[in-house]
Amino acid sequence: MKGYDIYLVGVGGQGVLTIGEVIMSAAFRKGHAVSFYPTKGMAQRGGFVKAQLRIGRASAGAGIPEKGADLVISTEVSETLKAVRYVKAGGDVVLFAYVWAPTAVALGKAPYPTLDDVAAQVRDAGARLTVIEPASLPEFEGAPVPDNIYTLGVAVAGTHLGEVVSADDVETFVKGRWTRGIERNMCALHAGLKAGAPAQASGGTPRDRHAWAFH
Amino acid sequence: MTAKLMTGNEALAWGALHAGVKVVTGYPGTPSTGALTSLLTTAPEGVHVEWSVNEKVALEVAAGAAWAGQRALCTMKMSGLNVCYDSLISVAYSGVLGGLVVYVADDPGANAGMPEQDSRGFAVMSDLPMLEPAAADEVYRMTRTAFALSEETGAPVFIRLVTANSDSFAAVDLDDDPPAWPARTPVLTHDIDRFTKAGAAICLGQHRDLIARLEHAGRWIADHGLNELTLGARGGLGVLAAGITTAYLDEGFDIAAQHGLARDQVSVLRVKAVHPFPAAQVQALLRNCDAILVLEELEPHLENALRIEAQRLGLSPRIVGKLDGPFERIGEYGVSHVVQGLAAALDLEVPADLFAGSSAAEDIAAARPITVCAGCPHRGTYMAINKAVRRAGFKKDQVMVTGDIGCTILGMNPPFETVWTEVAMGAATGLAQGYVHAGIPAPVIATVGDSTFFHAGIPALVNAVQHQVPLTLVIMDNGWTSMTGMQVDPGTSVSYQREGDRPLDLATIVPALGVEQFWVVDPFKVDEMTEILKQALLLPGVKVLLSRQECVMPALRRRERAGTTTVIAENCNRCLLCINVTGCPALSPGSEVVEIDPAVCYGCGLCAATCNRNAIVSVPAEEVVR
Repeated sequence: MKGYDIYLVGVGGQGVLTIGEVIMSAAFRKGHAVSFYPTKGMAQRGGFVKAQLRIGRASAGAGIPEKGADLVISTEVSETLKAVRYVKAGGDVVLFAYVWAPTAVALGKAPYPTLDDVAAQVRDAGARLTVIEPASLPEFEGAPVPDNIYTLGVAVAGTHLGEVVSADDVETFVKGRWTRGIERNMCALHAGLKAGAPAQASGGTPRDRHAWAFH
Repeated sequence: MTAKLMTGNEALAWGALHAGVKVVTGYPGTPSTGALTSLLTTAPEGVHVEWSVNEKVALEVAAGAAWAGQRALCTMKMSGLNVCYDSLISVAYSGVLGGLVVYVADDPGANAGMPEQDSRGFAVMSDLPMLEPAAADEVYRMTRTAFALSEETGAPVFIRLVTANSDSFAAVDLDDDPPAWPARTPVLTHDIDRFTKAGAAICLGQHRDLIARLEHAGRWIADHGLNELTLGARGGLGVLAAGITTAYLDEGFDIAAQHGLARDQVSVLRVKAVHPFPAAQVQALLRNCDAILVLEELEPHLENALRIEAQRLGLSPRIVGKLDGPFERIGEYGVSHVVQGLAAALDLEVPADLFAGSSAAEDIAAARPITVCAGCPHRGTYMAINKAVRRAGFKKDQVMVTGDIGCTILGMNPPFETVWTEVAMGAATGLAQGYVHAGIPAPVIATVGDSTFFHAGIPALVNAVQHQVPLTLVIMDNGWTSMTGMQVDPGTSVSYQREGDRPLDLATIVPALGVEQFWVVDPFKVDEMTEILKQALLLPGVKVLLSRQECVMPALRRRERAGTTTVIAENCNRCLLCINVTGCPALSPGSEVVEIDPAVCYGCGLCAATCNRNAIVSVPAEEVVR
């Protein structure tokens, strides 16, 4: 049996768990078995959050083993590092490169990794990194589009996730889930899909798109 | 059947509803909270659902209903089981008429802090059956089974989940046409031999009944096949897996098969009813296998019992588990444990680094200590405590400030570093008395949240009053049980209480406990609070400050803000005092002057009160131009 495992990390309040919920629901509607294990721990807004999403495994526990995730989605630069041990060689890391500096970092009292540090760690793990610059977020009616939906679009278009849930699956679910602000969310999703498509990837080579399927 | 995605907590709630539960009680505690939360919205008319003041009371309410013949559910995290155990063991001795299910959620890996307690020990200690379903669908079905088992045997029945299934979403096949449960007429049973402990004869008789009920449960569990034994080839490996670990077996077998595992050599006993120990099935496993792999998180309960069973049969199989390795008693299990265990038991050649990701990345991740929200009134309380200690003439490291459970503990972290301890619900006030009696010469301060004070703090304060222990208690009253996600507590505003419920006012309760030196203060008025606290610290006797301001989260959900704050650039010299003192996540150092994120700022004004250059001004909500 083959499955598709996604490890999500970020900071509470960023909407990273929502990304997981959307993928979970879209995959479930397609008839895939899903397990979604969000861990908020003690995190209110501003604390570390993670989630483990396992798709296409008829029988599986909620936890993803180290070196087991096909995809890591991160919405915060430093928090990406907490997921590196879970990504498999040949897997993908999609990073919305927002820096949410803890107070001690903002005050210059504690270190914070550079994006290059993070990229080096992802490279050492044998995974492919896609970085989304927060400044590149398109605007809708004068405000940046929701970054989590945009990031999801990039992941669907640019990784094997798109073979698990299609852009249409995600679009259908998002439209039904949030009936207010549909245009804004669609703008985010479509822009993300466009930015993540392999042909658009800067400096990248066309992906090896070997067929991915559930057995 | 309708397949729906839900958490294990929700599945448990649906299972209870579809078993005809009549009374549901509990106290919030991660990761158990979601079960009762979901029943507050889904339970039909006629089903009583309440957040009780603490788990002991919750258990007593549920037991009373079960003694009157109704089905009852009581929910809690493992810490709560400790709180209610005194009543539970007596109820266990008496047995129940209606089904009583006690749901406890353990937290291997300590995702939410607190001890990694293995509550299976309580099932052993109290001779009560315990079911441990794995996936959410199994949780739904086994919750119904638990009520049936409880009424069949007369024993209260535990369901134990862990974080990995209580808070995880998976598909559940909900019964579209659950059995109808006609309303039961409550019964009164006058039987002191059963419902009191008045004398040895009664207690010993009940003890005998208790043991008989557990044996009955063992037979019922075997008859209903709750534990699943699949025998493979003779002389092969036996796997004894409990609860959540069974979810990882198939995946682990598939991976191990790539490294030489012959699946037909493996016998498996999937244990979903962990207590009583399934001795007959384990004996069958032992007779069939030369080696046994035991998969169970935390304590080696099954492994110990397995070793006893092997000794009784005169067998000495190789046992792979915790006692002789390779596993430890700490943390969650996953598929890697299955593969690693199979490799150890069968000498498979599995690459050592198969599941060993690099930890180098995590080593350079920024530390992200948990802190209070922007707009949290507790921020003002910590600031006031720190200032008052200094103004009273003491150094910070001379003054013990005991901490309690919940958001109030967040003051342990920078920039406040105010509270020193975290033990258990209500423990701060008792600990503080011990420090005083130990002879600490400086004032001793205790802190506690409102829900925690109601839960277990009141007896500790009564003790301090009776023995006239000089200490200062600061009750941080934000009107909610906040840390677990906004549950209504006895002090929550009437507009959030259930219809017919009545809130209690801590401002009247504290003086009624005999506290003569009592102040109600506003933590957003930090200077006033500091001055009062400073005076209190220097007074003899028991002093209590009720630091009162509502939790910011419900206020934000009502779309209310105190206002906003703005930086006056020409006054700001970027000294960063505001950030260093408040640690508010709405503030950032900026490049030239401090910046305030208006989306995050609640407008509490604590940064403005901190600034000594008039560089930050508060704009009350009514003056904010939108």
